[in-house]
Amino acid sequence: MTYWRARTNTLVLLAGAALAGAVAARDAAWLDIAIAIVINALVALSVGLTFGQAGILSAAQGSFAAIGAYTTAILTLKLGWSPWLALPAAISLPAALGYGLARLVARLAPLAVALATLTLSAMVEIVLRSWDDLTGGYVGLAGIPTVLSGHPIAFYALAVGLLAIAVLVYENLMLSRFGRALTTIRADRARAMADGVAVPGLLSAAFALAAAMAGAGGWLYAHYFSYLSPGSLGTELSISVLLMMVVGGARTILGPVAGAVILGVLAQLLPAQEVQGLFYGGALIVILLVARNGLLGLVRREGAL
Amino acid sequence: MAYLAELAVRGVLLGAIYGLLALPMSLTFVTVGSIDFALGAYAVLAAAVGSTIGGVAGVAAGLGAALAAAAAMAAIFAGLKRVGVDEPITISLASFGLAVAIGSLILWVWGTRAFVLHSFDDVWVLLGIRVGPQSLINFAVSLLLLAVIHFLLYRTGLGRMMRAAAINPAGAELSGIPVTTLQTGTFVSGGLLGGIAGVLILFSAGLDFTAGLSLTLSGFGAAILFGAHGPLRAFLGGILMGVVEALSAGLASGAVSAMVPLVVIMVVLAAGTVGGVRFSGDRP
Amino acid sequence: MSQGLIARDVVMRFGGVVALDGAAVEVRPGLIAGLIGRNGSGKSTMFNCITGFVQPTAGRIELDGTAITGLPPHRVVRAGVARTFQTPRVDLRATVRDAVLCGFYSLGRSGFASAVLGLPSVTREETRLREQADGVLRRLGLAALGDQQIAKLSMGQVRMVEVARGIAAGARYLLLDEPAAGLTQSERDVLAETIRVVASSGVGILLVEHNFAFVRSLCETITVLEAGRVLSVGTPAEIAADRRVIETYLGTEPAALVEAA
Repeated sequence: MTYWRARTNTLVLLAGAALAGAVAARDAAWLDIAIAIVINALVALSVGLTFGQAGILSAAQGSFAAIGAYTTAILTLKLGWSPWLALPAAISLPAALGYGLARLVARLAPLAVALATLTLSAMVEIVLRSWDDLTGGYVGLAGIPTVLSGHPIAFYALAVGLLAIAVLVYENLMLSRFGRALTTIRADRARAMADGVAVPGLLSAAFALAAAMAGAGGWLYAHYFSYLSPGSLGTELSISVLLMMVVGGARTILGPVAGAVILGVLAQLLPAQEVQGLFYGGALIVILLVARNGLLGLVRREGAL
Repeated sequence: MAYLAELAVRGVLLGAIYGLLALPMSLTFVTVGSIDFALGAYAVLAAAVGSTIGGVAGVAAGLGAALAAAAAMAAIFAGLKRVGVDEPITISLASFGLAVAIGSLILWVWGTRAFVLHSFDDVWVLLGIRVGPQSLINFAVSLLLLAVIHFLLYRTGLGRMMRAAAINPAGAELSGIPVTTLQTGTFVSGGLLGGIAGVLILFSAGLDFTAGLSLTLSGFGAAILFGAHGPLRAFLGGILMGVVEALSAGLASGAVSAMVPLVVIMVVLAAGTVGGVRFSGDRP
Repeated sequence: MSQGLIARDVVMRFGGVVALDGAAVEVRPGLIAGLIGRNGSGKSTMFNCITGFVQPTAGRIELDGTAITGLPPHRVVRAGVARTFQTPRVDLRATVRDAVLCGFYSLGRSGFASAVLGLPSVTREETRLREQADGVLRRLGLAALGDQQIAKLSMGQVRMVEVARGIAAGARYLLLDEPAAGLTQSERDVLAETIRVVASSGVGILLVEHNFAFVRSLCETITVLEAGRVLSVGTPAEIAADRRVIETYLGTEPAALVEAA
């Protein structure tokens, strides 16, 4: 079973999630929180992938989740599709958009790319808010068909299943020549080019993959909470998953997942919903000040010889 | 036709605010290489405080609050530099964190209400075009500040040092120019100019706690539209963007006009012309 | 169709600087050619033009008769022209085998989707590539270093891993960027032997170097650049005796002057 021996992250995740699930199953409220954490973990994983491997600090992952959520909501609510059929669409649309954006800006410096993702995020929000006929505008969409309704434990298992698939896919990527190439790009882009790597194309593919993961998170959200508004997923989520990644570390595959668990639990201790931004923003600043070499210090494991 | 002219004029006056925001944005961008994402938050904070206290005292308090917030950003910047971090993306990310924190603070203290105060009730008609006196004041103030900044940058010793620090930070440092202090100063200028913009908007269309990010992006879009070289270009970028926004708001919809700064940023970024070497990702 | 990596009439102008002004260089299969010159002579620019990192303003670069002028680096590599770096920045955790495996990137046939899905074909390909990587390491006498972390290697070993990485995908021509810089004499000897081994398998080698003694002992032909133009081309003995070369270039290399005498 060398296949699985090389993919320990997936195994660790499944074991941890099973344990957590056994604990959370005792209380309906805990199960709700657990499911929310798994959804956040999926989106945080996607931020870890784009930043940790592709070197792209993305402020758009929440928006990709929103696109996935709205896609499935519209398909199931307005066109009567089965949620399972809508899942591929919820994954593909963000992936296509992510690929397009990355191809446009992959050559630019990190700040420019991050800014492009932020701009995309703002654009998506405007579209969601104003395309009333499609997205319900400010009001949003209610009554989205639920999946495995009445069986939150089963939904938890489904969510964990999707998260595990995402982690497995991430591991597969890093074990392949493309993962090696991404690692090279991060350390020395010119060396990667000299290895024959078409850098913008590979970065865009990785970014698309991450967007797909976020879209899956959005699908889960839509079919569990059954209600979507422009503010449900989006900029706020993008910021919090960024913090999850920073807290858990983009160095490892499961780092952002750990960050999602930590922050998910901590968020229960916050006094009010409004203060979340204060907490996230402040924590981000503190971590950047404390982490050696700032943002890159959380990722950098390369050096010049 | 008269309608178009009116929209255009409205756009110019609106664009003056963008130009005002673009000034410190371009200063920081050129001198530090980073974006101060909290710029819009300074404006909203100034408006919030100003609307609570009201009157001239409110304006002063609002500016004070904005300056305090910017001072916090300056301290964060200095702190980052102290620990050896000077990558633009980290500094920008920190400013983003501050922006989010300030936005949350405003929401917590003031709630979701709009901050708006009335100044003038009458509308003037100049050459057949209706303009509000407040927007003329906005324009005049912005123009004045542009002139001041321009004078400062190109006619004073301080400006010479700033330009030297922007072109060659290492060399400037060696020549005895206090580069870090100057860079910190650009953040503080954001507080001042952002605060003024916030107060001006307070007396115009008003804003709420969500406006921070869009103001920041508008300021940045204006700053890079004609190339992030200097205050005059940044200001003109603001004017042009304001005109396009006003036209699209009048002829299309509010959603389309809200997209204008975003499209500008995306297009300019994709063209790869911003910031020259700083934004070039590859090296031989 | 003539066999060779040939650059002719290459001009490179940027920002008012003329880095190359009609320079030329030739590399033949199985032969080791040298490209030398003072700082600012244009040899690095020529290197970058050939390998695609810089687009020449004018000129023609041909690979066995096919034009490759202006192709981006990853296309140049896939066409069969590989390069090394003087100081590659690396992931400190990477092993020597990982580094050489990176050189096989362009040989991989599995697509991104297959890789991400972890299909058996990808696993098979990985095993195959790993074996090939070990083969390259053996050929260059580096087999013992396979599992060693790059961060722990000596400079000489790093340069040889670069060579291994460069030839991994079966390049017909290999350009070396100052591989002898900063090496001890014994490291240089091992490197020289490695380069000879590679050349003997039919790979054409272009050595861009500062160290004239190293170039002289290794290369069959040497091109000397000065101010972006070719100053002289010939065998090491001819170059060492060329008065123009001695005046402009060797005169600045005290050790080389002693060698040449």
